[in-house]
Amino acid sequence: MAKSKNPSYANINARAVLYAVLIIVAAYYLLPLILMIVTSFRSMDEIRMGQLIEWPKTFSFDAWSMAWSEVQIGAREERGLRPYFINSILMVIPSVAISTILGALNGYVLSFWKFRGSELFFAALLIGCFLPFQAILLPQSQLLGWLGLSGSLVGLILTHVVYGVSFTTLFFRNYYVNLPHELVKAAKLDGAGFWVIFFRIILPLSAPILVVTVIWQFTQIWNDFLFGVVFSDPSSQPVTVGLNNMVNSSTGEKQYNVDMAGAIIAALPTIVVYVVAGKYFVRGLTAGSVKG
Amino acid sequence: MAELKIDNVYKSFGEEHILKGISLDVTDGEFIILVGPSGCGKSTLLNCIAGLEDVTTGDILLGDTNVTYEAPKDRDIAMVFQSYALYPNMNVRKNIAFGLEIRKMPKAEIAEEVARVAKLLQIEPLLDRKPSQLSGGQRQRVAMGRALARRPKIYLFDEPLSNLDAKLRVEMRTEMKKLHQRLGTTIVYVTHDQIEAMTLADRIAVMKGGIVQQFGTPQEVYDDPANMFVAGFMGSPSMNFLRCEVTKQEKDYAVQIESQGTIFQLPVDPKQADLSSYVGKTVVLGIRPEQITHVMPHLVAEQYITQVPVKIEVTEPTGADTLILARINDQECECRVHPQEAGKVGESMELLFNMSKAVFFDEQTEARL
Repeated sequence: MAKSKNPSYANINARAVLYAVLIIVAAYYLLPLILMIVTSFRSMDEIRMGQLIEWPKTFSFDAWSMAWSEVQIGAREERGLRPYFINSILMVIPSVAISTILGALNGYVLSFWKFRGSELFFAALLIGCFLPFQAILLPQSQLLGWLGLSGSLVGLILTHVVYGVSFTTLFFRNYYVNLPHELVKAAKLDGAGFWVIFFRIILPLSAPILVVTVIWQFTQIWNDFLFGVVFSDPSSQPVTVGLNNMVNSSTGEKQYNVDMAGAIIAALPTIVVYVVAGKYFVRGLTAGSVKG
Repeated sequence: MAELKIDNVYKSFGEEHILKGISLDVTDGEFIILVGPSGCGKSTLLNCIAGLEDVTTGDILLGDTNVTYEAPKDRDIAMVFQSYALYPNMNVRKNIAFGLEIRKMPKAEIAEEVARVAKLLQIEPLLDRKPSQLSGGQRQRVAMGRALARRPKIYLFDEPLSNLDAKLRVEMRTEMKKLHQRLGTTIVYVTHDQIEAMTLADRIAVMKGGIVQQFGTPQEVYDDPANMFVAGFMGSPSMNFLRCEVTKQEKDYAVQIESQGTIFQLPVDPKQADLSSYVGKTVVLGIRPEQITHVMPHLVAEQYITQVPVKIEVTEPTGADTLILARINDQECECRVHPQEAGKVGESMELLFNMSKAVFFDEQTEARL
């Protein structure tokens, strides 16, 4: 292709190529989701008669209500994904809150109140980020047994908090070491103590990393299957386990539309969190605190 | 306000010794400047005074109280940081009030105090802005306002002007001096800028390698430096150091210099140094550029002034004066002459060496003779 003499045309061509590539990539990633949504609104009759990939002829929410509150999962009395979903919410909120607060405090201490061996402490904590889930299954179940928390939501929360603190500490510590240390020095001279500095100076500056940590922890804990399946009993199973049990029940016909609706229900909260909090991701609150 | 006494303070980080026995007595209302090259320990000393760093041994006394082991908040000290360290999440008013709130001052008094400080520093229109909405000079003022608000015993300044551009820095320097004259507060001020030190200080402590090299008034430090380091550090352009041999004249001593192949004897004022034990040996002559000038007829006959022709290697006009780089004893020597008298590069020029303020140093120890 001859090069356009007018630089603005060259620009438009480049843009067009760029957008084309972006649209293709976006479509590639969105297709499975679109397929799931479409299928969830079709009826089983229609799926049975036609093909798996097809535009719905009729539109119904039946599969959604089935997945939410009607489908029989295992041998339990309550039906649908709802009890599992509630379990997940009861588990994820305290887990995220506690692990984030602990991470913020750890990061604050490791950045501004260093003590003898604090670097070593941080390094040891970091090892936790590299521990695979499987490695802690046995010791953790033993520990939960001793604590009398086996199969309970509290035990599950404890497991997620302990496992998550390594990551949250890393996030906050790495964010705080880049905050100007003179801020803390100035606050100390102003007469502020450990907690006052944390709550009045440091925490208000932590919004960006707070959002990152919450999103990370929420996704990790909500999507977790292994801890959920190992450390829970039927009364405390999270939605990931419920979905698995629903999809994998071996009796009867495979209800694709219900499976799809169930999968979307199980994924919905993480999507919502991204949409709501994502815009706070990049926020330079500290801009202007140092230099001119 | 109070006196500050620093008594034999040592500070080490493991094997690294940052402060090696610092002792300073600061009287009430004095403006003290700690000056030195980077890594000389001046900022560490300031942090030790503030309590942000613990001293390894030694004592720090504020007034009559030994504050060595007290927490920063109990010392009643305010500090202005190089980065200003304004709390980015608070507006200017909150920034100034923060320390007062922490100290549980009643709300009405806080408002009064903020108003007083804002008026003093002329930052009233800025009170509701966030630090990010301020220019460098305005942030600097707010940082000072925050320090002034508590009326602490002493103020510490850690290179407060070094983030400002050159013009603003000079303005703020004057302003700071005015402020000190008006408030009469005790100030310890760290800078690496010797001009700032000369212009602001009541007394200067020149530091190097964790040791105070000299502690004296700006004029003392300038005219009567304790060693070669102080002599070279203070003053711009810096003092010329010429290695030369000491000779015995009829009754006094002289140092011998060579310029363009001719030998000259520069007489040594006995008030400046006793060189009797150095005859025939080499010493370092310290002579400031302004002591080497163009020929002024009324000075030629003076006792300690010698006329020497030199070869001009480089000329640097500064506007008020022109600096001339000459070669003496095969060493570079900077001289300050009137712009109209300055010759051209490569030419020879007659200069007057005024030895009445010359100082001498030992070649090995670099100590003052």
